[in-house]
Amino acid sequence: MAETILEAVRVRKEFGGLVALCDLDFGVRRGTVTAVIGPNGAGKTTLINVMTGVTAPTSGSIALNGSIISGLKSHEIARLGIARTFQTAQIFSAMTVLENVMVGRHTKTGCGMIASALSLGRMRREERTICDKGLYYLDVVGLGALAHQPAASVPIGTQRLLEIGRALAAEPVVLLLDEPAAGLNTQETRALGKLIGTIRDMGITVIIVEHDMELVMDIADEILVLNFGSRLAWGTPEHIQASPEVIEVYLGKED
Amino acid sequence: MAIKRHLPLMLFGCAAAVLPLGLKDPYYLGILVFIGIFSIATMGLNLLMGYAGQISLGHAAFYALGAYATGLLTAKYNVHFLPALIAAIIVTAAIAYVIGIACLRLKGHYLAVATLAVGEIVFICLNAAVGFTGGPSGLAGIPSIEIGGFSFDSDFKFYYLVWAVFILLFILTANIINSRSGRALRCLHSSEIAAAAMGINVTKLKVQVFVLSAVYAALAGVLYGHSVTFISPQSSDLMFSVKLLTMIVVGGMGNLWGGVLGAALLTLLPEMLSAFHDYELIIYGSILLVIVMFLPDGLMGGFEALGNKIIRKVRARGRG
Repeated sequence: MAETILEAVRVRKEFGGLVALCDLDFGVRRGTVTAVIGPNGAGKTTLINVMTGVTAPTSGSIALNGSIISGLKSHEIARLGIARTFQTAQIFSAMTVLENVMVGRHTKTGCGMIASALSLGRMRREERTICDKGLYYLDVVGLGALAHQPAASVPIGTQRLLEIGRALAAEPVVLLLDEPAAGLNTQETRALGKLIGTIRDMGITVIIVEHDMELVMDIADEILVLNFGSRLAWGTPEHIQASPEVIEVYLGKED
Repeated sequence: MAIKRHLPLMLFGCAAAVLPLGLKDPYYLGILVFIGIFSIATMGLNLLMGYAGQISLGHAAFYALGAYATGLLTAKYNVHFLPALIAAIIVTAAIAYVIGIACLRLKGHYLAVATLAVGEIVFICLNAAVGFTGGPSGLAGIPSIEIGGFSFDSDFKFYYLVWAVFILLFILTANIINSRSGRALRCLHSSEIAAAAMGINVTKLKVQVFVLSAVYAALAGVLYGHSVTFISPQSSDLMFSVKLLTMIVVGGMGNLWGGVLGAALLTLLPEMLSAFHDYELIIYGSILLVIVMFLPDGLMGGFEALGNKIIRKVRARGRG
């Protein structure tokens, strides 16, 4: 079995009196797809926000490749190789589809405002590679034909793919997908499942928060079930499907 | 591609170069100088507001700081223009940096109110420091700009200076917008959280663009002071900040030509409407209202939409 790439130790997040994450322990193995599931309010999105530095955990720690990332700012964590998408697609609407993906190259490039203003040779060369990589990752998510469309004009399903393409352009170590199938039809969801498989084959570790159980059971190597901010179960899809605690939470208790 | 991208600017430059040759009335030349100066100020403000989505109601303060800095140094202390200019840029950038760090943690209305307060503070300071700035009666006797022995001592020469500076800044600004930094700026407008998730240091970038836009305003202020040889605290007041902002909204936010169009319109309109002097503000307000209601992307946005519509119609006819 592959080594652990992302490890959470006793992660706790409180909002006022509410405990959103309650001393959570888990590890994600390199090159796998780990799904995080649980009822609404279980703390799934909070977990993603803590992992990406949107909020800092109240206590506990998260380590990427053995170095602590919890408490760092979002942009610092991004630089260390964690990319994400959002539950409500956060595309940059004033730009073209290609430009959105080009933003994904931010951490891999370095020309500042002055070099850009003077349009130095270094900047123009860098700009060409950013554009090439952008087009490449647009093709990976199948949006190559839409490159020069305004991003605001594409439908929601396409926006989700665009977000994934943008995150892939950062060539991350870990990719977090926050409900990528929300708002997609069956056909689109099936294509998404295939895409996630492709991403795993690229060597990227994927963590996915998702409600679509069919998709989760189909693509996940491991599943973490949250309930009220605590770990309810953790294991392979077969293990989770057979777990009486999970069945109780999802289907109600049999008297 | 490169030529196509720069074609509008080249045409504009040619037009700007020959325009004064055909002008008989020096009065109009003066107006064109002001349009150029305001276009420079709105270009910076457009970077901040139109592209990065951060409002400022205090940019007149930086405009006045620039004007006072070179004005005082050249008129009172006999410093040459170029060193005075460099000093003015450094001072304004430093002040904008400190203000930016303090204010840019705020968003929306709060940022608007904080920058408004900054403008007022500068206004009050310029009024109060009578011994230094001349107080409410202003600073007179600012000399013409002199660079390497050449003096820009007529409106005609000054016109070319202002528009040359404008074109240079336009090229630099357009380069920024179409680069890695420019894309990062435009991200802030739509989603700061997504920008941060892509590795963009949001706070740092906001302060950077605030400082940059303040320097543009200061440059415009410098040109203004040396062109009218006089500067008073009036030019740092809220009315002027609002006027700059209106120029961008009317012309088109997030469009570099929009700032120029807005500057031209809001400089020419008062001249044309001077016959209605008592009702000037009402007409002004109505124009703003109509544009905000019907052309949320400003006049340039409206023109673009119209252009696209015509192209589609022509194409449809070509097919049918």
